[in-house]
Amino acid sequence: MVAHPLAGHLSVEESAELIRQYRYAEERMMRVMGGWIALTPELSAKLLLGRHVWDCAQHADLWGKRLPELRAPAHVSAPASEAFVRLMDLLESQEGFHQTPERLAGIYEVLKPHLLAAYQDHLAHTNPVYEPPTRRILERIVEEERRHIAAGRVVLSHLITTPAVEARTGEWRRRLEGLLLESGGVSGKPTGDLRGPDVPVDPTAIAQDLARLERPVGRWPVPAELEASVEAHALHLKRRDLQALEDDFAPAYRQAGMATYAPLLAFELATHRIVGLGKLGGHRLVKLRLEGPAGTAVVQLRWAETDGRWRVLEAEVVRTEAAAASS
Amino acid sequence: MDRPIAYDKLAREDRFIRMRARRVSEIRLEQGLSPFPDLSNQESIKERVHGILVGELQAMEGAGRTVYDFPEAPWEFTMDMARQVWDESRHVEIYVRLLEHLGGYVGEFPETTILWRCACAEDAAARVAGVNRGLEGLACDVFNQLIHIARKIGDPILEQAVDFVLADEITHVRMGSRWLNELTKDDPERRRKAVEFQEAIDERFNLGGIRREGDHEEVPISIATEARKLAGFTDEEIARLIKATQRSPVY
Ligand SMILES: [Fe+2]
Ligand SMILES: [Fe+2]
Repeated sequence: MVAHPLAGHLSVEESAELIRQYRYAEERMMRVMGGWIALTPELSAKLLLGRHVWDCAQHADLWGKRLPELRAPAHVSAPASEAFVRLMDLLESQEGFHQTPERLAGIYEVLKPHLLAAYQDHLAHTNPVYEPPTRRILERIVEEERRHIAAGRVVLSHLITTPAVEARTGEWRRRLEGLLLESGGVSGKPTGDLRGPDVPVDPTAIAQDLARLERPVGRWPVPAELEASVEAHALHLKRRDLQALEDDFAPAYRQAGMATYAPLLAFELATHRIVGLGKLGGHRLVKLRLEGPAGTAVVQLRWAETDGRWRVLEAEVVRTEAAAASS
Repeated sequence: MDRPIAYDKLAREDRFIRMRARRVSEIRLEQGLSPFPDLSNQESIKERVHGILVGELQAMEGAGRTVYDFPEAPWEFTMDMARQVWDESRHVEIYVRLLEHLGGYVGEFPETTILWRCACAEDAAARVAGVNRGLEGLACDVFNQLIHIARKIGDPILEQAVDFVLADEITHVRMGSRWLNELTKDDPERRRKAVEFQEAIDERFNLGGIRREGDHEEVPISIATEARKLAGFTDEEIARLIKATQRSPVY
């Protein structure tokens, strides 16, 4: 039997309720993504979030403005269930320096695919005669969510650099998916597959969502004599050769420099590499990453050439982390 | 997440080299350089572009925090800040590409975090006054100068890209003007504090007399009167800024 062209599946009130639930998800997601930008070190992920905050804000805005057209107050967000709020709380909780993969997995592998599935399901059931205002919004958001998901996955796979990170991220995703299933999703009334459809990556369509991905720096433009001095200095640190280390510092900075290094000298440091190189007038700023069995230290050194020799004028330990933190 | 987060939580890849602004100026002065890049040669333009790039990054991060930190603020305020996040993310990409266009790379010069510190102000009105009106007002002056220099040295890529960024910045200052007024309309004390915060920033960024009224050829950074009017600064505010630059001590 063919359905009557005016047959519908939701009342006006039910439509408004569903839209408040969508708005809750979009608004909360948008605020969390905005808050994460500063906490996320990787430029590609920062810019991805930066681009999508505005799209998600517009989604929340479209839903909020649709509400008064359905006899409901404008711009009201209301979650479907306590369990969905718990899901959002859990998703938001990954704010650590090394948790960008978890952050991106929560948004781009769990929440957005679920919303896409819910929106597509809703679109398939809206009445084409009297619900085009809702359909237009759904069509636009579906298109944008597909793009977001594809772009997010490109950046996420770029950031998954080791099997350990992959395992950790997968575990996190499954934990969120478990809670999503338990909550019944954005509407609390699961329809179809909560986990969302597979979204193929179309490189041209997602170009607007992506800045370039970080490329490993092949070789830093370090002056040759400075490079030799930096290498020697790193070796002195690894060997804990106090005499040689002292001699690497400019005389006026010796005491302060050795005090700065004191905590590092307690650990075994096995490898080192230059991870940053800057200029300040004639001085050079070198960032060295040192690794050992106990963990990693990143030091920032200001070098100047005096009397034909590069010496350290200032040293700062900018980050230390235990071995497990970054794996 | 905390609302707001501690300013030292600002996350960067290792290639960025962070230093205190005051220290950077001191070290430059010790070497007989001007406290800030003066745009007098290609290297100096590159250094300035790098400084703008990290400012854009912090502007994006700051606007993102504002979206998160003030869920009770008017919805339209949140929309303006979310829009700013998107604009700043494009600005970051533009300046990364301009930096490469000039032969530079990300991390080539130290990053100072003045804008980010202002973006950590606890009051939303202080943030828009300090960041959108104070610092993005400064950005209008600096970008105007950069466009002039790009024209002079015959670099249409630099000129056109920065011109589009300037258009966005004027929009951001306008947002700041609007929300400073609306957020404080029933609270003169809140307004006074926010305006004071902005004025302290304006004072600091007169850059020891580097920013002044005058022709691009005559002064290192000229106050962009027309852009500032478009952005919602009153004639009186512009006059006050010009007056303040005249009494600003040499750094
Ligand atoms: Fe900007
Ligand atoms: Fe801006």
